[in-house]
Amino acid sequence: MTSNDKIYYREGIPVPETPAAENSPDFWKKTTIVGKALPRVDAYDRVSGTALFPSDILLPNMIYGVILRSPHPHARVKRIDIAEAQKMQGVRAIITGESAEAKGITWQYRDQQVPLFDPHCRFEGEVVAAVAADTWYQASDAARAIKVDYEILAFVADYEKALDEGAARVQDKGNLLNEETYERGDIKKGLAQADLVLEETYHTPCELHTPLELHGCVANWERDRLTIWESSQGVYAVQAKIAQALALPLSKIRVKGHYMGGGFGSKLSPGKYTVICSLLAKKTGRPVKLLLSREETYLCVGNRPATTMRLKAGIKKDGTLTALEFECSGPSGAYPAGGAQLVDWLARDLYQCDHVRTSSKDVLINAGPARPFRAPGHPQGAWALEQMIDALAAEIGMDPVELRLKNIPLRSQARAENPPYTTTGLRQCLEEGAKEFKWQATLKEIRNHNRKEGHRKRGIGVGACLWIAGGGGPPSTVILKMYKDGSINLNMGASDIGTGTKTVMAQVAAEELGVNPQVIQIEHADTATTQFATPSGGSKTVPTEAPTVRNAAISLKRALLAMAAEDLEVAMEELEYVGDEIVWSKDRTKKIKVTDVSRLNRRGEVIGVGYRGPNPADKVVNPFAAHFCEVEVNTLTGEIEILRFLGVHDSGRVMNRLTFDNQVYGGIVMGIGLGLTECRQLDESQTGKLCNKNWHDYKLPTALDVPQAMTSLAVELDDPECNNTGAKGLGEPVTIPTAAALANALYMATGVRFTRAPISPMAVTRELSKKKKG
Amino acid sequence: MLPTFSYVRPDKLEQAVKHLETERAAIHAGGTDLLGCLRERIMDTRLLVSISGIKELSGIKEIAGGGLRIGALTTISAIAENKLVRDKYPGLARGAAEVASPQLRNQGTLGGNLCQKPRCWYYRGEFHCLRKGGNRCFALKGENQFHAIFGHDNICVFSHPSDTAPVLVALGADVHVLGPSGKRTIAVADLHVLPADDVLADTVLKQAEIITHITIPAPARHLYTSYRKVRARRSWDFALAGAALALVMDGPRVARAKVVLSGCAPVPWPSIAAEQVLTGRNLTPEIMAKAARAAVAAAKPLAGNEYKVAMCRGMLEEELQKAGQGGSR
Repeated sequence: MTSNDKIYYREGIPVPETPAAENSPDFWKKTTIVGKALPRVDAYDRVSGTALFPSDILLPNMIYGVILRSPHPHARVKRIDIAEAQKMQGVRAIITGESAEAKGITWQYRDQQVPLFDPHCRFEGEVVAAVAADTWYQASDAARAIKVDYEILAFVADYEKALDEGAARVQDKGNLLNEETYERGDIKKGLAQADLVLEETYHTPCELHTPLELHGCVANWERDRLTIWESSQGVYAVQAKIAQALALPLSKIRVKGHYMGGGFGSKLSPGKYTVICSLLAKKTGRPVKLLLSREETYLCVGNRPATTMRLKAGIKKDGTLTALEFECSGPSGAYPAGGAQLVDWLARDLYQCDHVRTSSKDVLINAGPARPFRAPGHPQGAWALEQMIDALAAEIGMDPVELRLKNIPLRSQARAENPPYTTTGLRQCLEEGAKEFKWQATLKEIRNHNRKEGHRKRGIGVGACLWIAGGGGPPSTVILKMYKDGSINLNMGASDIGTGTKTVMAQVAAEELGVNPQVIQIEHADTATTQFATPSGGSKTVPTEAPTVRNAAISLKRALLAMAAEDLEVAMEELEYVGDEIVWSKDRTKKIKVTDVSRLNRRGEVIGVGYRGPNPADKVVNPFAAHFCEVEVNTLTGEIEILRFLGVHDSGRVMNRLTFDNQVYGGIVMGIGLGLTECRQLDESQTGKLCNKNWHDYKLPTALDVPQAMTSLAVELDDPECNNTGAKGLGEPVTIPTAAALANALYMATGVRFTRAPISPMAVTRELSKKKKG
Repeated sequence: MLPTFSYVRPDKLEQAVKHLETERAAIHAGGTDLLGCLRERIMDTRLLVSISGIKELSGIKEIAGGGLRIGALTTISAIAENKLVRDKYPGLARGAAEVASPQLRNQGTLGGNLCQKPRCWYYRGEFHCLRKGGNRCFALKGENQFHAIFGHDNICVFSHPSDTAPVLVALGADVHVLGPSGKRTIAVADLHVLPADDVLADTVLKQAEIITHITIPAPARHLYTSYRKVRARRSWDFALAGAALALVMDGPRVARAKVVLSGCAPVPWPSIAAEQVLTGRNLTPEIMAKAARAAVAAAKPLAGNEYKVAMCRGMLEEELQKAGQGGSR
């Protein structure tokens, strides 16, 4: 990402600048603690239960909030009768759009402002009223007892019909929200230059967010000061949005994050529930806990929008891509939410191609608004592009790995001025991956196997990607405090969303300061006590925070060197910080242990402040990846078994081998969900309501659906330009090419191009029957 | 959220029957299906009668003649792991092992598995469907990819969720019931009700009747049993297409055949057509293919589940191939 890229994880929150970083150190040539497979610093707390998640918060006098939601995908609230509910046992407050507390309070769906309780409900699950009661059950029962008269309106649930004449209008201005085009070169020329042109239409399903910890918060007022414990990816994003909604000074809102049980983009910002919980707490004068039920989260905490993509590609016999014409459409839901955002990015930028035209249509339907979902747009785009590359390779008789290698760009073609990447590890990912996977040998083996009789056919597939962001950047401020005993407090605003951020930061500080990571205590994700950070998302937390931690350590060391110079009676500039000692460079026997420095002992502590410096000007920092997999298909039943999976990633320096590999495995599992099992099912033709709002009907892959043989391979290129740690983002590329690699493997196994995800046994059986009939 | 209800846990079977005579009472055994039904407000239950304290309802015993008696409260995992079951009817052990997920198998019971409420996302969701007293089956014209291809008569089109029932039907098992008017025995094959017979009933059990145990006749010599389940994901899922086989072999010849499909009909679906093809024949590739074709010949797929016809045929063909290779067990 270059500094002028607009990126989704900053949407809707004001982002301040940070002071310039001073004395940013040189790139590490060698590290001793960074890169090691160290267990997480909070592993014990997580497994023993001492880690407190927002769901665990129990405050004295706390009561419970429940939201009543529209059961209709499109309706207008005509009347709400709370008389009966109000009389029920334990009920302390009911808020509707008519309540004084809710008057004038608005909510922003991106650039669209609506009343918090909007009588015009545009999706199933939109808020209608809220109750606070002594117990969750009492609040739930009371919410059910609220009587609502709805005027039921016509709805549109199928995004492919949203622009049809006569389709119900989600918003007055019509259902076309946004249309974006991009062009470079001359697409006609590119197609004319091609020896072969292929065209195909691809579909990906809508995936629903379903992180383990439910969305929600606890809100507590102390006079005019509001404290919120929210399951969130970014406490500052929550603070900003709630301050705006409630018109409060930022200083009066304290948001605590600490532990949180998964977000994947759905917790980059708070929800209406956060405002409602705060209002209920204010009205009752009690702390209120409001956690959504699983059914509610399926309706209203966001999704990866479904997409329809048409891709026309031209290629020369030698494998030179000459043209890519890409059209996509996807639904934001009932409000602007980026329904087709970034879907075309890979078509624009992954492969060297002079003539590219893309267009994206974002449409409205009567369903829950989208939210960023791990690598927004990219897995969808990869589903189309990576299958197309595979098809082109087959047609021109070139190996699919080879064809990709042939078209690797060294510059970002889709950005103005075509800036180069600091590093492009795509070649290494493909080459080293193919070697590790034994691509060529397996190919031969599979051809022999598939020629034989029998209904179990095998296939291997490959998919590649880059991720548009992943370079991180300012703002970030980190404070390191060393106590006189040498133990350390690390203070940062960023959330650890389960990826191991805290562990990596402890490693960075330990690397610089010569201490054991275990003596580092991390204070983070609290708007009152830590510094501003953008939400943890976009695969940018490590590349943003790690260089800042390093800068803070350098600042701390400088302060210590100045103090030690007094003890050793030499010039500070002649001192070096080595391990846990400060050594005189002119006579290395002259040294002092850091904890023996007199002034440190007199003061009791010393502080270092680090700021995140800028990314390299005019260069792009993006991670790259390639995934390889092998599958076996039972052609009688349509069942698919994934035999093995290999994720090869260029994310610069590996900061911690364990957290790195875990990201890769987790991303592959999520990609398998997109490729094989997950799909939001709306009752499109009858009621528009969601059919599968539980963990049984919404099919996440289980442990038995993912292969035991999962391997993570790191292509560790030195990237001294990206930042002073050399780390690029990882959390998103890990799930981008996964589903496409599976589809390619399934093509080899069956001869069927599965253009529509998910590829369930149902889809396999359907397609194989079709093929048989010819 | 669960509705408000009272809860009793008698330790005598007769007391349980008495409690169940209360209006809007329901049996709580393992609770794995019940709690979901309550949360989804499928049943308007005011009294839960837990039978989990009634010791005599658990356990697996050999009975005179070599059959088995399985208490209704025996957990699904106990059945999957039991040596007697595995030796005598490997297909039943397999069926039990294919149920849901490890946690649900540890908690769910055989009686409960037979009496599961229909699995249909309309029935389980906020849709006032025919089976809940409404006036239409939403699945008939709606999203019906997981639904029935047999026996639905375009009335109510869910497919029966049990993995143990098809095997028990194939084995000719009986359920033994105690109710206010005493004991009775029902063939598992007669336990479930087709929509055409009564769209509001899942089983023939009457109010306050409790399944106490299941008996399975002794395995014939050279009995081969199996259960196969094809599903959209490999754990915690119901059958898209499945089959229980009980074949009595006489050398290479099938002397007697029972083929019962799961995931295909609102009740465990005996495939008489396939049985007829197999009976008296050698398990040749031609016969297997013919039997598999016969099994789906009368299928009435809906708009979204035509794939089930091919899947069911393919699955059955593969299962018969295995039977042919496995010989008599």
